Amino acid sequence: MNLLKLKLLSAVFVLTVSASTTAQELTGLEIMETVEDFQRSTSDSAFNRMQLSTCKFGIKNSKITCAERPRIKSLESVGKNFGASLKDTKTVTIVLEPAAERGIGMLSFAYDDSDQDNETWLYLSAMGRIKRIASGNSDDDSEPASVFGSEFTTEDTDTGKLEEYAINIVEETEESGRDVWKIEMIPSEDRARKSRYSKTVVYIDKERFVPLRTEMFDQYGKEIKRLLSSRVELVDDVWMARSLTMMNLVTNRLSNMAILEINTGIIVEDEFLTQRTLSDVAFREAQLQKLREQVQQ
Amino acid sequence: MLQIHKRLSNLSKPLRGLGLAVGLAVTGLSLGQEDAVLELDDNLSFDGDFSFDDDLFGSDFEFEESESQSSILDDFTFRLTQQIYGQVNSHSVEPIPGYSFRRESEVENNRLGINLRYQNPFAAGWLLQVSAQSRIYLRNDYQYKANGDNLEIETRINELFVQRSFGQHSIKLGRQTVVWGETLGNSVLDIINTSEFRDLSIIDIEDARRNQLMLAWDYFGDGSTVSSFINLFPEFNPAPVRGSPFFFEPEFNLTDYRREGDVLIEVGSQWRKSFEGSDIAIMAAYLFENQLRFEDPINNIGNSIAEKNDFLLLGFSANRAIGKLLLNFDFAFSHGITADSFNFPGTNSIGQAIDLKKDQIGTSFGFEYAVSNDQSVSIGIQAQKLINEDEGLLPGQSLINNGVFGSWLVRYSNTLKNGDLVISATFQGDLNAESLLALVGFDYTISDNWAINAQIISINAATGSPLLFFDEDLRLGTTLSYSF
Repeated sequence: MNLLKLKLLSAVFVLTVSASTTAQELTGLEIMETVEDFQRSTSDSAFNRMQLSTCKFGIKNSKITCAERPRIKSLESVGKNFGASLKDTKTVTIVLEPAAERGIGMLSFAYDDSDQDNETWLYLSAMGRIKRIASGNSDDDSEPASVFGSEFTTEDTDTGKLEEYAINIVEETEESGRDVWKIEMIPSEDRARKSRYSKTVVYIDKERFVPLRTEMFDQYGKEIKRLLSSRVELVDDVWMARSLTMMNLVTNRLSNMAILEINTGIIVEDEFLTQRTLSDVAFREAQLQKLREQVQQ
Repeated sequence: MLQIHKRLSNLSKPLRGLGLAVGLAVTGLSLGQEDAVLELDDNLSFDGDFSFDDDLFGSDFEFEESESQSSILDDFTFRLTQQIYGQVNSHSVEPIPGYSFRRESEVENNRLGINLRYQNPFAAGWLLQVSAQSRIYLRNDYQYKANGDNLEIETRINELFVQRSFGQHSIKLGRQTVVWGETLGNSVLDIINTSEFRDLSIIDIEDARRNQLMLAWDYFGDGSTVSSFINLFPEFNPAPVRGSPFFFEPEFNLTDYRREGDVLIEVGSQWRKSFEGSDIAIMAAYLFENQLRFEDPINNIGNSIAEKNDFLLLGFSANRAIGKLLLNFDFAFSHGITADSFNFPGTNSIGQAIDLKKDQIGTSFGFEYAVSNDQSVSIGIQAQKLINEDEGLLPGQSLINNGVFGSWLVRYSNTLKNGDLVISATFQGDLNAESLLALVGFDYTISDNWAINAQIISINAATGSPLLFFDEDLRLGTTLSYSF
């Protein structure tokens, strides 16, 4: 699981994309590749704070709202790409809230090479020890898993593998008052076997390359999940949706990811992305303070 | 060791399977109700378009702006608990042929607890950490009864240390925990800190483990770590509390060790390195056995005499992740330990050991397998053997721990409802197949603050097992907790 990827699900740099190619000339695949390129580049040297709220939803005054008090997780994460082509990622995520899970930390090494197993360590503050987690092979081989008990799954956070989809622009339309491409992504037979979705429809903001809405369909062609992006803001030269809401239309539960702090392009020392950060709280807090100071500069 | 697997976390749990299709044409609904929230039922359909206003979570962003006003309370975490636990099977136990006694069903635990944790990085590279707990023993709790049917309050500080981290070093001074070994719950190397398994009930490891006054130093090198400690005031497992299930009226009172000016020190060091898919560690330590040995008082007058024993420990631990399988291995060589000790924590002081020092080898090993994102299975075996076990015994003497002795543990857990509900089953026994402890647990997270736990524990033991006195016991218990 790579939380940073999730955060960046709808992030795109302000492009100067326009430079050589006009939007009208792009194919569906090119649009999605562009989005992916930016997602990958923004997962490097990133420091973020986010809040995951999950609830059963209902209707109030003709609007969708939580039918119960949302469950809230507050997280802080730092990530950095490495490897020959910077396609591997090291991430540290620390749970700030709820109180019962405060201090639990997770260190993840995600490798692009499907032959190389991802590695995960947890720091269990109650037990005072670091524990390696057998997390399975690369995302490709793993069953989609809920991210921190939310309606987001690891499949929703995946990047890459675009060649395993048939990608077509269905139409150019409007979404939330913005001009968008409505793009349909149908997985290949191989990819479909690993996926919960038989089809995904994405509405990409034509100007900002932000997916504003994503619909996921099951094998019977029924929409089962919908991701809605809002609060699209320009942060550090990046267009990002700071509020992502995943609605599970089967279970009537929704999860909102509020990205409270977004910091990209910061200097993260390699030493921070080690097991020491999990267990050495004095070190971790000192390093986080340095990151915060970078952000404030 | 009864139940020391704490639920790890909800960090990565699977999406549940698809349920009933639901439907709704949201935009078409007219509710006629201003305030009540309509909960959707399974007969609706999500056809067509609908809108969503994320003002619902707008306060998250407002919170961000006002968050700069920090409070001293931010550094505190509290957990309030109410636990009720009892032995519910009235039956007879016959420890010796022809002699039996009744064990009636009764409440054993009825207690209110509070745990607090304070963690303050008060300056760059500095940390102050404190954790403490209090228990109020209410009516019918065994400690209430032992206190003459009066409320009793017990408080203890678990952790209290200052940490300084600089460069590649980290130094911690104060009451703290040092955990060695890979096998969760029954590692032969996790013996630095003392423990107190006071109850045959719901036990979390942080409640059972007792911290000690230590100076610890970690050196984080390039790819490896060296961790060393000096225990400035070694302590020992406390004797069973009067009235607890583990308490049996001894002929003489069991007391703590009388230092009488002795300066006791424990020291140890561990080197740890991570490879791709594996972590290994080697360690060495000079320690005192956590369990005291009790001798009859001189002239059989007064309290029993508590005797300590020092020994040397050499150890090796490793793990290896292969896909969803994690293999764990611990090995310990102990030089100069006291022969004879029971293997189940909390029962050690029931017996009286032979005053004889031996060498011992021990291993704990097992695996954890993630069947799916929801389900996992773990198996652990702990086995120990004294070297030259018969050497030094008087004619007719024999050791209680003869041959290979130890325990095994199998655990299965299934996570449901996006991690809100964890159902687990644990089976534990000794290698001689003389006892079996079966536990079924339910952990339900009600909200961000509230959680409830329920457990059923059954014990069966044969003659010769230290758990014989608990044979056919059936315990039910629940703990309600509120964290903030």
